[in-house]
Amino acid sequence: MGLFAPWFLAGLIAAGLPLWLHLLRQYRENPQRFSSLMFFERRLQSSTKRRRLQYPMLLALRLALLALLVLAFANPFVRRMERETARRKLTVIAVDRSFSMRYGDNMQRAKAEARRIIGQLNGSDIAEVIALDSRVEALTRPETDRNILISAIDSIQAGDLASSFGELTRALRVIGENAGMRLDVYFISDMQESSMPADFADLRLGANTFLKLHCIGDSGAPNWAVETVSAPTHIYGAGQARVSATIAGWNTPMASRRVSLLLNGKIIASKEVSIPANGRAGIEFLSFEAPYGANRGEIRIEPHDPLPNDDEVPFSIERADPRKVLFLYQGSRSREAFYYKAAMESSTEAGLTIESMFAENAAGADLSKYSFVVLGDDGELDQVLERKLREYVRRGGGLLISIGPSVERAGRVPVTGDRVAGRLDQQSPGFLDGQHPALAGVGRLENVQFFVAGRLSSTPDARVIARFADASPLVLEQRIGEGRVLTFDSTLDNSTSDFCLHPSFLPFVVQTGRFLAGSDDASLNVTTGTPVQLRRGADQATAAEVIGPDGKHELSLAQATKSRDFNLDREGFYEVQRADGKRLLMAVHSDRRESDLRRASDETLALWRNTGSTGQPAQSGQAKQETRPWNLWRYFLFLALLVALVESVFASRYLREGQKAA
Amino acid sequence: MPAELTKRFLDPAVLAEISSLDLVARTVVEGFIAGLHRSPDFGFSQEFAEYRAYTPGDDLRHVDWNVFARTERAYLKRYRGETNTEVMVLLDASASMGFASGAVSKFDYSKFLASALVYLAHLQRDSTGLVVFHDDVADFVRPSGRQGQLMRLLHAIDRARLGKRTNFSKPFFELQQALKRRGITVLISDFFESAENIVRTVEPLRFRGNQLVLFHVLDRGELEPRLPQAALLIDMETDEAIEASPEYARTEYRGRIGAHLDHLRSKAHAAGFEYFFLPTDRPLDEALREYFTVRRHRI
Repeated sequence: MGLFAPWFLAGLIAAGLPLWLHLLRQYRENPQRFSSLMFFERRLQSSTKRRRLQYPMLLALRLALLALLVLAFANPFVRRMERETARRKLTVIAVDRSFSMRYGDNMQRAKAEARRIIGQLNGSDIAEVIALDSRVEALTRPETDRNILISAIDSIQAGDLASSFGELTRALRVIGENAGMRLDVYFISDMQESSMPADFADLRLGANTFLKLHCIGDSGAPNWAVETVSAPTHIYGAGQARVSATIAGWNTPMASRRVSLLLNGKIIASKEVSIPANGRAGIEFLSFEAPYGANRGEIRIEPHDPLPNDDEVPFSIERADPRKVLFLYQGSRSREAFYYKAAMESSTEAGLTIESMFAENAAGADLSKYSFVVLGDDGELDQVLERKLREYVRRGGGLLISIGPSVERAGRVPVTGDRVAGRLDQQSPGFLDGQHPALAGVGRLENVQFFVAGRLSSTPDARVIARFADASPLVLEQRIGEGRVLTFDSTLDNSTSDFCLHPSFLPFVVQTGRFLAGSDDASLNVTTGTPVQLRRGADQATAAEVIGPDGKHELSLAQATKSRDFNLDREGFYEVQRADGKRLLMAVHSDRRESDLRRASDETLALWRNTGSTGQPAQSGQAKQETRPWNLWRYFLFLALLVALVESVFASRYLREGQKAA
Repeated sequence: MPAELTKRFLDPAVLAEISSLDLVARTVVEGFIAGLHRSPDFGFSQEFAEYRAYTPGDDLRHVDWNVFARTERAYLKRYRGETNTEVMVLLDASASMGFASGAVSKFDYSKFLASALVYLAHLQRDSTGLVVFHDDVADFVRPSGRQGQLMRLLHAIDRARLGKRTNFSKPFFELQQALKRRGITVLISDFFESAENIVRTVEPLRFRGNQLVLFHVLDRGELEPRLPQAALLIDMETDEAIEASPEYARTEYRGRIGAHLDHLRSKAHAAGFEYFFLPTDRPLDEALREYFTVRRHRI
């Protein structure tokens, strides 16, 4: 017998209470003066002695009641032999289908091992097949039919995702809790070290889970891979592209590899590179031409090794003319457009050119041909133009609004309708959200002085991404429909601040421009498992589209109109058309951690195994005797209740006797 | 005793509310006398002795005016007690006499009793004295029949305060030395002492021709102590402590104190004493009437 909470035994001190009540308290607190004690005899009169004689049962009951309560809280248990049959366990066969399982014949061996395990199961055993990569997929329900289990095993193919043992552990805990029975888990994997979670606590198995690991593959298998590729996603105008790559080897001797640059399936450049043992080598392809439009690039090394899929890395590169940005200004405030244009066009990466226009003349302009619109300080915007701008934004356009004396006088920000109430003098920048894509890399706007600004009051749907030193909003971000609006609480010239004279103005203009133009969206070159955003809002008016590496449509009709994201799970090129009409060519490659085939140490794997139940899983079809803790607190509590009832009966009887005596 | 009769007598609690012992004594004595056929010779020294011719200086109050009317000679009526009876009241003022389970303590009750007796003796023109004692003689009023003796006695009774423990030996020894004439000695006490010891101590008074009357005063709470629960009892005289249970107090104690009363009564009678038991919840006038009735029949 043991106790789950032995510290509750300290409560036995309370047993002294009835002893005190029975033996000490009564007469100690009730002395009486009496004329003479000559007729009392000491030998008979000790109330302590008399009470011991008179109320032993009551005392015993009270002591027992307290002891039982204390024991109940101490949560006692006994270990009881239990006969466990195969019916009460669930066998889980987990097969790793991550990218690394493409190495050699690892996947075939894993399937053969899984089939062997299934073959050893008893006819009445319940088993379930699950597949693991970065997620866990149940391929069958708990079944006794061996054919279904084997079919599920046969259907498993190595994928392009990385495996996560933490995710497997979490899934096993859920399965164990739902099944309510013992889990015998057979995990078949190459046991890559890179699949271990950062925190070992994520590997804690359920108490009733027996994990048996089946290692497939060779821990010391050599593997070369294209580890990284650095290529621009866009080339504007007549510029030329430059691509660099890193070739890495794991458990490899020094070797030479031919590295090729392919563009749209054609090798346009090749180089020999010498890779040191267990090392890395860099390579660059300079000044190559890429045709207009989206191009499918690829870096490939040859000859291939037993894991050929990581010998290639696709990348997407698009050549396009610079996009236009419309700058609307009032007649008297053309300096804003001048400063903005100078800053934007000084950057070659932005790919944006500025067109300036009087706001009075813009009512008939076709806004759809502009990547985004900048609205200079204009508090008297024409209503037709304002409606047009609002509609432009709602359809996915971007808008940057600067606020100066004109908007301040009007007291209202055009398009967004935010209020400007009051005036701020001599402010410096305060908080800037560097994590926000519109301000990434902008810095802290050091030494910038805002001489005068309107006090902007934000609406609840606006997000403040930068503030003045007194916490008033400096930059607001709002979403209207599919589009984005940035409100800058200053002008873009030097009339109300010296911002445009500081170096930080340049990255601010470029980064906010990229954000509004949509160039900030996740890189076109991503690893497997990365989600791509299909739509920003809940607008279902337009459909999105995804065409996979094999040229097939990936979305159902419902997904095309409702899904906001899509996971890019396979290597290759995805053609994505977002709900706002923008087309992307996404290049997806597997996580290169999968290329490192080193196995986790035996100690680590043993520790993982031991987080669950120790010992070996029960043999199929065999009944097993095992000891389990059997909790007794309910019985102690029931006994305590019983004793309390008896005690009350005895106590009331003594009370009646006492009253009679009195 | 019928209830309607009991109501005629004075509750000791009522007496306790009367501040003047004089009035208490008068109330008690007149009360119990009123319940009887009026008798001129009712008292301790009730025996008629002789007529004596009046001589100048005699108290005119003692002249028998009936004889004077018939014979035109003044005679004084003399009782036996006037010649050889001296009433001495011994009042126990030990600490145990302070016990009270009700409104009246034993000591208060004993004071009422002593007051009533000295008042009665005064009416009978007996020479009366008082000794207040505990472990020593606390106060002593020499027996006398002179004017003002009553008030002296009542004042002495009134100022009597509780002492420590009872010790019969020492005060009685001194008393034996003081009592030169034989008479009646009244001892008022709770007699928390062995019967043999009590009798042995007071017996010498009897040898001198004294009549000895023991008034045994006890509280009802001493006869039938009520302990609702076990209690630590502390002796009022010795401060000795003892643990007592309700059951013992209910059974064995009552038997033992009852035996003590019987034994003391038996020993007192055997020694030629008069013994009269007085619980403090008993009306004093009614008790005195009973005592004197019994005493008159005995004589």
